[in-house]
Amino acid sequence: MVALACASSALRSAQDADQPRPPGARSDVDVSRLPAPGSYRLPRLMAAPDGEVLDSSGRSRKLHALLAGRLSVLSFMYTYCRDPEGCPLAWRALDTLHTELLRDSDVARHAQLVSLSFDPTNDTPTQMAMFGGERARDARVRWLFLTTASVARLLPLLKGFGQDVTVETDARGRATRTLNHMLKIFLVDAALQVREIYSVATLAPQSILNDLRTLRIEAATAQR
Amino acid sequence: MAHRPAALALVAALLSPGAALADETCNSPYMANLIKGQEDFLHVWTLGVKGMGDGNDKLVTVDANPKSKNFGKVVHKLSVPGRGEAHHMGFTDDRRYLWAGRLDDNKIFVFDMVNPEKPKLVKTISDLAAKTGFVGPHTFYAMPGRMLVQALSNTKDHGGVTGMVLFNNKGEIVEKYAMPTGDLGGSKGDGYGYDIGINPAKNTMLTSSFTGWNNYMMDLGKLVKDGEAMKRFGSTMVAWDVKAMKPQKIFSVPGAPLEIRWSLKEGDNWAITAAALTSKLWLVKQDAKGEWQARDVATIGDPAKIPLPVDISITADGKGLWVNTFMDGMTRYFDLSNPEAPKQTFAKQTGKQVNMVSQSWDGKRVYITSSLLANWDKKGDDNEQMLRAFDWDGTDLKLKFEVDFNKLKLGRAHHMKFTARPAGKALAELAPRNQTVAVSEPSTRIALAR
Repeated sequence: MVALACASSALRSAQDADQPRPPGARSDVDVSRLPAPGSYRLPRLMAAPDGEVLDSSGRSRKLHALLAGRLSVLSFMYTYCRDPEGCPLAWRALDTLHTELLRDSDVARHAQLVSLSFDPTNDTPTQMAMFGGERARDARVRWLFLTTASVARLLPLLKGFGQDVTVETDARGRATRTLNHMLKIFLVDAALQVREIYSVATLAPQSILNDLRTLRIEAATAQR
Repeated sequence: MAHRPAALALVAALLSPGAALADETCNSPYMANLIKGQEDFLHVWTLGVKGMGDGNDKLVTVDANPKSKNFGKVVHKLSVPGRGEAHHMGFTDDRRYLWAGRLDDNKIFVFDMVNPEKPKLVKTISDLAAKTGFVGPHTFYAMPGRMLVQALSNTKDHGGVTGMVLFNNKGEIVEKYAMPTGDLGGSKGDGYGYDIGINPAKNTMLTSSFTGWNNYMMDLGKLVKDGEAMKRFGSTMVAWDVKAMKPQKIFSVPGAPLEIRWSLKEGDNWAITAAALTSKLWLVKQDAKGEWQARDVATIGDPAKIPLPVDISITADGKGLWVNTFMDGMTRYFDLSNPEAPKQTFAKQTGKQVNMVSQSWDGKRVYITSSLLANWDKKGDDNEQMLRAFDWDGTDLKLKFEVDFNKLKLGRAHHMKFTARPAGKALAELAPRNQTVAVSEPSTRIALAR
């Protein structure tokens, strides 16, 4: 299996993965038409699945242990993805969100970003640490760069989140290095419930930020 | 409840508003993997007919690829138990699963389409009415990780007041939303529902309105003689804040506005719908102040002759619209270059009764089916039940193949969806069984699970 057995491609920085969106993609979200934070309720779509992950230092952790008690914006990715409607687009959105959270310390204290690899063979903990770079070490806004020990460990998480992925094959049916997947970013609340799923059509950092603020208001209201 | 003027009711008495939502260009904007080339298969959600074949509702799969030796043939049939007024279908956002509903017994069947040549039934949802009070799951509209289902009726009086139900992709009910019945934006809601169309960029959802179980399950001949029943058809559309799932404005759109199609052209922010009973095309578009407005922009055929538009299909570039009119069996094409003034440029009789019309993304192929509702279809020799496939060269529809659902004892052909053979392989299929990765601390090295 070429794509996943390819153990050591050159390390790439996150910036390298950034590519412009192609012409013809749907127009960006008109954020002026989004409701104000706290004026709406996010449904509890499903429980976030649990499973074994590896953090960027290589420690085995339970995903739930990393997510519980925080508002998490979680995205599946792989470090060498080149689909402009896939990981690079998600990266750009999360990176902008990261910048926005630096300006909102209240939400930042309770939130985190989570990037979890589709490709445990290539995206080792070391690779993920390199990919995360300074963002992985920035204590002001927590950003976890996770992988799994194997495809077998990964599959239950993909299934639990409802994240599709297939390996593109060439004309002879052999696997290539391209993983086809639908862009989905999951907003998980402190009680481990998935409260929103963003796609290409709805992906806007302002929308995610509004939702994080809405969940903060919800939590504050519940405590009264 | 909508009360239409008597004249309109008279026209409506001879009409039978129907069902739709089909083609590649009408899929949810959240959906992945649109088929922009040649589709391989057509799946037809088919109503069982007592005494015909096994008599059950079924998903019929037809090979639609001209390069296949089975082109134009039925390659798979998957019967589900009983007859429950099979109607519409919708893919999940990742196109892996196809949800198919029944308007009478409210069952929803979920088919796994990983092998589109042989769909597999993996789940049956039977508790919609009991858990929500809504009846008649009609439109299945994919949203990220979830499915929004528009119902047509309710358990209390089987009338047209209804709502929407949000499921997650596992088939679990998450929320329900009542259609508005109060005053909002200058018009009063009738509480009715039919179709859903979302413009994610504008955070706007449009809904339309049809009629309740009492009407759509009634024999058409009896219905048209029932003056009170004929008053109970929808006459509104609603603009929603889709993020908040709150209604923002109600539009008065008389005559049962049915399918909603947003233009798919980059930068366009307008939608079009057809009102079945008045035979009008309606445009929903923002005014100079950014507020959504609805107005009728064209007439379909001669309303006095009761053409009854029942399904529409917009081209991928937003420049054209196919319209099927049930009563006269016509398939019409409207030039939408100016959506404010659509113009009919082509018409051809494609059947004795036609309901659904679905086109390929490239606009080169057009498919039609025949059935509206079991009790509303024509009788005797006029009850033609078929799938017809045409090529469209910009000037004429040329028949490529036809499947006779009566002759093959399949039933009444209703809603169509396209699939293509998968291009890749599943991760699980390719993953090495004994794969490990070295981790930084030997004590935490992960032994590989199978």
